[in-house]
This record gives sequence, C-alpha cells and structure tokens, in this order.
Amino acid sequence: MADTKISTQSLADLKNTTDDALGNYLRGLDFKQDNTKIDVRLAIGYASVLIAAATFAADYKLGWEVTKTWTAVAVVAYALLNGAFTYWMWAVEKGCVFDGAREGKKISISTKTKKYDPTYYLTISLADSDSIDIKSPFTTWFTSDGYFVAQPFQQWLASSIEAIGDVDGKNALRDQRDDLAAPTAGVAVLPEGNGTAEASGVDSKAKGSKRSKRKG
Amino acid sequence: MFSSLGNLQPRQLAAQVLNFALVLSTAFMLWKGLSVFTNSSSPIVVVLSGSMEPAFQRGDLLFLWNRGQETQVGEIVVYNVRGKDIPIVHRVIRRFGGGSAPLQLLTKGDNNAADDTELYARGQSYLDRSKDVIGSVVGYVPFVGYVTILLSEYPWLKTAMLVFMALTVVLQRE
Repeated sequence: MADTKISTQSLADLKNTTDDALGNYLRGLDFKQDNTKIDVRLAIGYASVLIAAATFAADYKLGWEVTKTWTAVAVVAYALLNGAFTYWMWAVEKGCVFDGAREGKKISISTKTKKYDPTYYLTISLADSDSIDIKSPFTTWFTSDGYFVAQPFQQWLASSIEAIGDVDGKNALRDQRDDLAAPTAGVAVLPEGNGTAEASGVDSKAKGSKRSKRKG
Repeated sequence: MFSSLGNLQPRQLAAQVLNFALVLSTAFMLWKGLSVFTNSSSPIVVVLSGSMEPAFQRGDLLFLWNRGQETQVGEIVVYNVRGKDIPIVHRVIRRFGGGSAPLQLLTKGDNNAADDTELYARGQSYLDRSKDVIGSVVGYVPFVGYVTILLSEYPWLKTAMLVFMALTVVLQRE
C-alpha cells in the first residue's frame, strides 16, 4: 500500500488510498469486518445486471416482436432495482468504509471529502455512544510527492478514537488521549488556581464532553 | 495502473466490475425502455443514404414512434425489407386499406426517381404496416448520427471504443 505513489492533487486518489489503509489498519488490529452492507449492494447490482443480460439474450435470440411484453416487465424490474441500488448507496451505506466489531463492541466508520477541499472527514459510530465527527488534512499522512505514510495516520486515528486507541496503545499519543478522554486530569490541579486556570479547565472539559458519556 | 487493481479486496474488485457492468446494462435497458415506450424495435435510427434529401441527410438521427397504426400519405416511415435487416427511411406516397382492413403502404425516397417496389422483397409490391414498418419519424437531430456511420463502416472502431470504455471504468475509481 504504502509504496504506491499517487497524485496529491487528486482528491479521489487521496481518499481511496486512505480508505484502503483505514480498512487494512483496523483489520490488522483484529477488528472483525462485517461486510453485510457491501454484500447487499453487490447482490442488488448483480441481480439487475443479470436481468439486463437475460433481456439482451432473449432479444438477440427471439427478436423484438416475441419478447415485447417480457422486455417491458424487465425494464420496470431493472428500474426498480436500480432505484434500490442508488437508495442503498446514498441512504444506507453513506460512504461507509468499515463496519466491524472487536470483542463484541461495534464500530462503523464512514468517510467523505468535500469538493476541492483536501480534508478527510470521518464519522465514527459506536454501539454505545453518539457518533463522533473528526477531520484532518490529507497532508498529515501523505508526503508531498504522494506517498502514504502509515504512522501519522494511525496515530491520528488511535489518538482521536478511543475504541482504537484502547487497542493500539503504541500509536495513541498520551497527551492527546488524556486531553480527549479524561477532563478530570485537568480539573484536579485547579483548586488553588485563578481565573485563567479556570478557563482552561472549562476548555478541556468542553473538548472532552463528547467522550465523557462513555466514562460517566 | 493494473497494480492498483491487484491491491483491491475481492469485494472491492467485484464492486469495480459491477460499476462497469452497470454502465453497459443501464445503457441497454434505457434503450429497451425507449423501445417499450415507443413500441418500436429500434426507436432511434440513423439515415444511411441520401435518398431522402433534402429532407434528411446522411448521418441525421431520427426518432420513431410506432403507436397508432393509421399511417397517412406524406408521413415518413422507417421499414425493414423482409429478409434483410437494413432499415430504410422513405415517404409514404400511397395507402390501401386501413381501418379494419390491413393497411398497405407504398413508399418512395424524395430523392429517388422511382417508387420502392424495386427495393421490396421479391414478389412484394407494397409494405404491410403492422409487419414491415418499425415506426414513423417524429423528430430528428441533424448530423450527430454520423458517428454510427463511421462505426458501421469501420467495425474495428467499435472494438476499440468498447475496450477503451472498459479500461477507463475499471481503472478509475471516481
């Protein structure tokens, strides 16, 4: 993976490479991947392709006059399946790149990019808490000549997603994790503090609020 | 280019192939949908000869409609000569029967000296509206069909185009 060179100006290349690396990383951490969503998509898609192929074969062998009625049925069925396919991709998959679980805890990650904005947007949904949105510029893990570097990418994920940081301790950066996960540490030094210390305590609390649900 | 395909997971590869298959099948089913809608086996045809000049030139794209079988004199129809699968675009100059009786048509190219009896199959002196005619012309776009004339006159272009399409769709993930 890491030795494929891509064009850093191509947002699709950046995203695809990163998506692939994300899956590989999580599988490497023993997250069990759940492929139901893509399997359903493939089933719908290939079913519609089969209908089209059958229509083509019938038309080729028997001609238009004989197959007219069935062609009409096939056209309607194809349109419906195609609608279902599109619906599945936009409303159910929503850019999901990894669905899986580790030790019974589910995690689902979807990614997106915005046009002409080289930033990677992640939405992480966990079974027992609200979904988290994080983002980072692609420059964090791509070199200027277009090579993917795994370490900063994995560090970013492990430090900002606790479910991953718990498993991948060596990539989870201590200070960032503490900042995110345990606002209590910041509060503990406060007793004799003044106004400025107070403010920073509040600040770190606000940052950690997304996480605190899990703790509390 | 191809090495990036090798890196894909089996499911991703299946999804890539599916993308390509969907492009082809959607194009085909749209065409069939148009066929069903217009009740014509080929709802869009390209003018191949100059026999209807100045009304239609070689390369004009014609849209056909085959519902309502009461074709009138002066209408331009597309028909297939029995035994040969070459669609011909000509104008109706006589009609016989109609109503409850089967409708029979005689056609002639505007630019031709004689009517089409010479063109019809051996022993046939008129067209059967319901069997031979695949539609009446209801609209046209000049010149854009010239691509298909090129494609049918140089068949290797078809292969080249198909291969090119296949490669771009499979190799590109946008």
